[in-house]
Amino acid sequence: MGARSKIGVLALAPLAVLLGATGSPHCAHAQWWDNVPRKIPLTAKGEPDLAAPAPRTKDGHPDLSGIWNPHTNKYLRNIAADIKPEDVPFQPWAKKVADERADGSHSREDPDANCLPQGVPRIGAAPAPWKIVQTPDLIVVVHEAFSLWRQIFLDGRELAANANPTWLGYSTGRWDGNTLVVDTRGFNGKTWLDQVGKPTTEKLHVTERYTRKDFGHMDLEITIDDPGAYTRPWTVKQDLTLLPDTELLEFICNENNRDLEHLPGKPLQ
Amino acid sequence: MQNKNARLAAVLATALALALVGSSPAHAHHSFAAQYDASKPITLTGKVTKVEWTNPHVYVYVDVRDDKSGEVVNWALEIGGGPNSLIRQGWTRDSLKADDVINVEGSLARDGSRLASAQSIVLAATGKKVFAAPIPTETRDASR
Repeated sequence: MGARSKIGVLALAPLAVLLGATGSPHCAHAQWWDNVPRKIPLTAKGEPDLAAPAPRTKDGHPDLSGIWNPHTNKYLRNIAADIKPEDVPFQPWAKKVADERADGSHSREDPDANCLPQGVPRIGAAPAPWKIVQTPDLIVVVHEAFSLWRQIFLDGRELAANANPTWLGYSTGRWDGNTLVVDTRGFNGKTWLDQVGKPTTEKLHVTERYTRKDFGHMDLEITIDDPGAYTRPWTVKQDLTLLPDTELLEFICNENNRDLEHLPGKPLQ
Repeated sequence: MQNKNARLAAVLATALALALVGSSPAHAHHSFAAQYDASKPITLTGKVTKVEWTNPHVYVYVDVRDDKSGEVVNWALEIGGGPNSLIRQGWTRDSLKADDVINVEGSLARDGSRLASAQSIVLAATGKKVFAAPIPTETRDASR
């Protein structure tokens, strides 16, 4: 570690503490001393230029690599926050379940509150950053939330019909111009799409369309196709921001989950 | 016990809670609104007995003395973020320690236990804020 970098970090520490009271500067100083941003375009002032053009890989596709973060808990709370409630095409049973859960009275039954995986796409809306590691045939998404991961295969493979149901499903991807299209199937039907409790079934098929608009911003369009719970596919949009100056940290949710006993609802079966 | 809690809690106006509202990467894994009542703000002053710097949320325990009876009651305070979000804001596991005296503003737990979500913790000795965690904004847009 260079003396200069240490001095620089120490000099920034009071600022980080000051900002901590009012905001979230996402400093990485506490983990790696020499966390020097790499391959990050800078403005004339030397700050990360989040409006710079999106990078590309050697094979010409957009390079989605980086650490991404939702702005707020908005879509974690309600994936349909930006659409009209009546535009969520619930089947009657799913509407009944969602209505029963919506006032929070079943919150103890939310897998997320039990430190179980959030499912897809909810895990991407959880307020913890996640990292895309991109290769030509495989994209790995490392989620800080609960220290989980996803694999997105771009090598043309197809999901077996008898794949064992899972929390995060099995993902394949392809490029549609500048957009990465990810199809995920093979879910276990246990996850809630959001905190207010929209249900899923094993028939869930999620299509995510990732478009990196510039260096620091990515659009995400999500289509929920679950013929077990909804009458037709429905689509929502989210947006993500690059975090240029942090790293992922371990997050073991069940370390000390004291919240569960204070939440209303039955213990998860 | 609820009466005792009420004596210990100097309940402020709802406006104060609203004034504290801001955006923060808080309450990752459970519903804030299901566990806490933002319309029931509480203020507490006491000595920290323990800090659980653990996932998914940091908890702080504080002994609060009832001015009238002299009885000391231990309260649990949930900090909106876990260690990671606090680390990214510049805090460390040593930012708050046992025996620190703190002034707390928070929201009462709905289940009547001696638990609050802490939106503001101020060190009495220095007047400095520690682990500020506003009420998450998603509690205000729970339309569905």
